[in-house]
Amino acid sequence: MSLLRAAVVAALALTATPALAHDLVPGVSGLTGGLLHPLLVPAHLMALAALGLFLGQQPRRTSAGLLAVFTASLIIGVIAIVSAVSPVYQGDVVLAVAAIAGLLVALARPITALLSLSLIAIAGIVLMLDSVPHEMSMQTTFLALVGTVIAASIMITLVAEAGRALTRDWQRIGVRIVGSWIAASAILVLALRLAR
Amino acid sequence: MSIERPAARVALSLASVLASAPAWAHTGSVAGGFLGGFAHPVFGIDHVVAMVAVGLWGAFLGAPAIWLLPIVFPLVMACGGVLGILGVPIPAVETGIATSAVVLGLMVALAARPPLWVAAVLVGAFAIFHGHAHGAELPAGADAVAYSAGFVIATGVLHLAGIAFGTLAAWPAGRLAVRTAGGAIALAGVAFLALR
Repeated sequence: MSLLRAAVVAALALTATPALAHDLVPGVSGLTGGLLHPLLVPAHLMALAALGLFLGQQPRRTSAGLLAVFTASLIIGVIAIVSAVSPVYQGDVVLAVAAIAGLLVALARPITALLSLSLIAIAGIVLMLDSVPHEMSMQTTFLALVGTVIAASIMITLVAEAGRALTRDWQRIGVRIVGSWIAASAILVLALRLAR
Repeated sequence: MSIERPAARVALSLASVLASAPAWAHTGSVAGGFLGGFAHPVFGIDHVVAMVAVGLWGAFLGAPAIWLLPIVFPLVMACGGVLGILGVPIPAVETGIATSAVVLGLMVALAARPPLWVAAVLVGAFAIFHGHAHGAELPAGADAVAYSAGFVIATGVLHLAGIAFGTLAAWPAGRLAVRTAGGAIALAGVAFLALR
């Protein structure tokens, strides 16, 4: 048996344990499961919504650049997973990202390019690290991760464009209120997780 | 053991990640968590009247208070919630909540128009009490995100209901109706205090 075959067998054997857990939607895995993941995990949904609204508040050119960075950071996250990076606090960081992005949306004040870039890059990486599926095979795992990259990229783009389309004063205020709601929710859950 | 083939390294890395860290552990009922959180402020009459009063007062004060107060409240409420979650005691929380109804109701009934910062500080101070009460009751578990989002959104919806009713103040008869509602809220607050 070649080393590669041995590795694959070992991978299948080791990954058999997480089968005790469940998919977010029973029976839905692989690419479809990955596509649905950002929509079905509330913390991810909040983070992506806040990040999207934040991007929608930025000038179009800046927003386009940050979107590219976000997608690149998602891919970096996939590479990190494949490279056996095993984070511990990724769920907390996702909530922290949601809280910070929500606050920035609520404040609606210009921030430095470095801060925007850092927030978006960290967001993409931790969202992926928090999206590792319990799959039985490498192929479906990889497909799920690809699905999550696609879904997260599309979702943040759609939210950003929807936010940009809201140009009336009351609409912009509504966006800021939603940002404050997301920040408040994320802060509370983060505190709960840190406390317990 | 040296592993020379990249594919084998990837397979083993992936296996170790998947086998060791079940990061896709988002359990619990999201819908149930959201509905539970949404119902929490709605079924607490002392919370309801105070939230509506915030909206009424915001509408009465006009821009920018009409949007500033609903943004400030959830953010400060989250800070109070963090204190509640961390077990930091705040004296007389329930009395503070009842007092918020009295004071905010009176502000509306008397058509008080203090400087914006005074209104923001007053509303923010009361938000600490409301947040502390909510935070202490946040459930543990993965659906805490949905729960907190539910009750933050419910709080915001109550604000918006108050704002919607408060816009009647643009007309003389509506102004009387809004001030009367403020008086009713203040009286309800007095009743809450008496029942403590």
